[in-house]
Amino acid sequence: MRSMMYTSGHRLVVMSYSAGFCSCPALTQQWFQAGFLVVTTSSPKNVLNIRHWVNQDTSISILIFKLCGHPMSPCVTQTSLNLFRIRSLNRFTCLTISLSRASLADMLPVLVVHGGAGFIPKERVQMSCAGVQAAVRGGYSKLQGQGSAMDAVVEAVTLLENDHHYNAGLGSVLNAKGEVEMDAIVMDGRYLASGAVSAVRKVANPVQLARLVMDKTSHLCLTGEGASQFARSMGVPEVPEESLITEYARMRWKKNLAADANPVECQMGKMGTVGAVAVDAEGNIACATSTGGMLNKMEGRVGDTACIGCGGYADNRVGAVSPTGEGEAIMKVTLARLILFHMEQGRSVEAAADEALAYMKDRVGGLGGVVVVDPQGEWSVRFSSLQMAWAAAQQQTLHYGLYTGEHFTQNIDDPY
Amino acid sequence: LLTFLSSPVIVVHCSAWAIPDDMAKASVDGVKSTATAGFLAMKRGGSALDAVELSVRALEDNPTFDADHGAVLNTNGEVELDSIIMDGRTLAAGAVSSVKTISNPVSLARAVMEKTDHIMLTDRGANMFAESVGIPAVPTNTLVTECERTEREKAKNYAVEVKEGHDTVGAVAVDCSGNVACATSTGGIRNKMVGSGGYADNLSWAVSCTCHGESILKVTLARLFHVEQGKRAPEAVEVSLRYMGDRVRGGGAILVSRTGEWAAKFTTERMAWAAVEREVLWYGLNPKEEFKETLRQ
Repeated sequence: MRSMMYTSGHRLVVMSYSAGFCSCPALTQQWFQAGFLVVTTSSPKNVLNIRHWVNQDTSISILIFKLCGHPMSPCVTQTSLNLFRIRSLNRFTCLTISLSRASLADMLPVLVVHGGAGFIPKERVQMSCAGVQAAVRGGYSKLQGQGSAMDAVVEAVTLLENDHHYNAGLGSVLNAKGEVEMDAIVMDGRYLASGAVSAVRKVANPVQLARLVMDKTSHLCLTGEGASQFARSMGVPEVPEESLITEYARMRWKKNLAADANPVECQMGKMGTVGAVAVDAEGNIACATSTGGMLNKMEGRVGDTACIGCGGYADNRVGAVSPTGEGEAIMKVTLARLILFHMEQGRSVEAAADEALAYMKDRVGGLGGVVVVDPQGEWSVRFSSLQMAWAAAQQQTLHYGLYTGEHFTQNIDDPY
Repeated sequence: LLTFLSSPVIVVHCSAWAIPDDMAKASVDGVKSTATAGFLAMKRGGSALDAVELSVRALEDNPTFDADHGAVLNTNGEVELDSIIMDGRTLAAGAVSSVKTISNPVSLARAVMEKTDHIMLTDRGANMFAESVGIPAVPTNTLVTECERTEREKAKNYAVEVKEGHDTVGAVAVDCSGNVACATSTGGIRNKMVGSGGYADNLSWAVSCTCHGESILKVTLARLFHVEQGKRAPEAVEVSLRYMGDRVRGGGAILVSRTGEWAAKFTTERMAWAAVEREVLWYGLNPKEEFKETLRQ
């Protein structure tokens, strides 16, 4: 028997059918932790077809035990990529299927970070790329230090909130009145726990406040004045609004106020929402997203970021998504949840993201970008806008890019 | 995508929870009369969107239900209301969260959808917008019943919230043009995020959900039905509620498809619901109940 080195979330879909064979209801959609799937059959019959649904570099060894527990040589033929036929001998009562994934241990942990999809003007490109790389290094070091996926995504997003080049925390865009109102969400894929804040003012790190909502309340989202009250009760310091406003943000706001302002042009060049997805060494999955929202938005406007399923979703069984882009469009199609639906139907991390982004563009005319990860540590970065600054860390390798199709790598320990 | 239905369909609910016996009749009567009114509006040529707004307004105005005039107070003694409305044809949506002193949040949500470029407004900003479109503020004490004030006095002695906030109200409808729409409104625990408390898409269903808001959010209940596109309506609801029950806890949902199929299911103790299709009024309260009567006009 090969050694088992895989984590929770590894999915095996088993269907058994043949004349007279009773399918075991316990088999369909089994998720298992330890790596064994033990099936007891009620009626010994000749042929058992087993279809599995895992990544290609997973191998299956199937052992058949007789009633007395002694292993027999299995008569297994692989009829196609996913289908195994086992011609059992008489009277088997216990079928053990073991999966081994030799390379899974190397795929985890993984962290993917984005700094917003949109159009980044030339003079801001370099700092935009530098910021996501610094954030991914910061978050990844948490993972390497046995930190959880949640610790990693919160760390990465905190670093981006503190970096004034992004539309989150410091550097947030201004609403119509020239004020800062921020949204943020975190989600923990283990129990589907989540915390979010919407239209919150005067806190330096909304993503951390969102995490407090998740950890310290029985609610999933707090808004506006209620969120500020909660922050005070948690001892989160209130910061002056001025401390979150940059010259660049103010300049863009003023430009957009002009009667003849071109709204499309004004949304361009805004630094985007920031976000991260991660899988830790235990196989737990998390996501986090944070934003100052839309340039010159109405007071109290809440976009996709604070809305679970839209601005982020994480589920240990399926994966995690953090999106960015046109908030209202993302909400209309509940983009994060949509991508995970496609993955549940068997699409890869790239295909699921591409299909959902194309649907969003087609159905509601919105552009955006996402970072996606699955329980096996597969990840993707896809966007329908011109650019998205992103970076990922896995197996001591730093990956990064800006324009569609770009994918640079270097050793993570090499200097910037 | 043009479908012409011979009959519009509407389903309304007023929350899935253990409705006490002394509220049972009022709850069932409330949903029956509301469903009837919504159906007649569509028969007269109104859209699904008009029907769900009208229905949820009627439910909001009914003090038996939490949604507005029976709203639960928060820890500050204020009424905070959430609401969402969604148009399945274009996926346009409007939502408000934490609005105070508004009589009919569902109409405010519709104004957000139709009069702004945004989908959701919250807190002060939502109230300011209401003022700007001429939706009047009403004093808090008209939104709070005596019953709720007493409950709150009792609950004040506890550090953690004891009242879970019941009585969300909602409606889903499909009109004769085959357009679906949904609307949901509550004074209770927040579940009005798009995709959770409600979702409407002409390509699949219109859904409105109820029960423990946080649980609905965790599984984005309204959006789950997307996956069940190939199934018949009742099966789709059952599968999704079972998933929610497995991962978090029980809830309730109503849905309608653009072809006029509908369902009302719940895994809580009770849910008062009513539906009208082809001049027949269906309704129920306890699990498995499905009474019918001819529509009285």
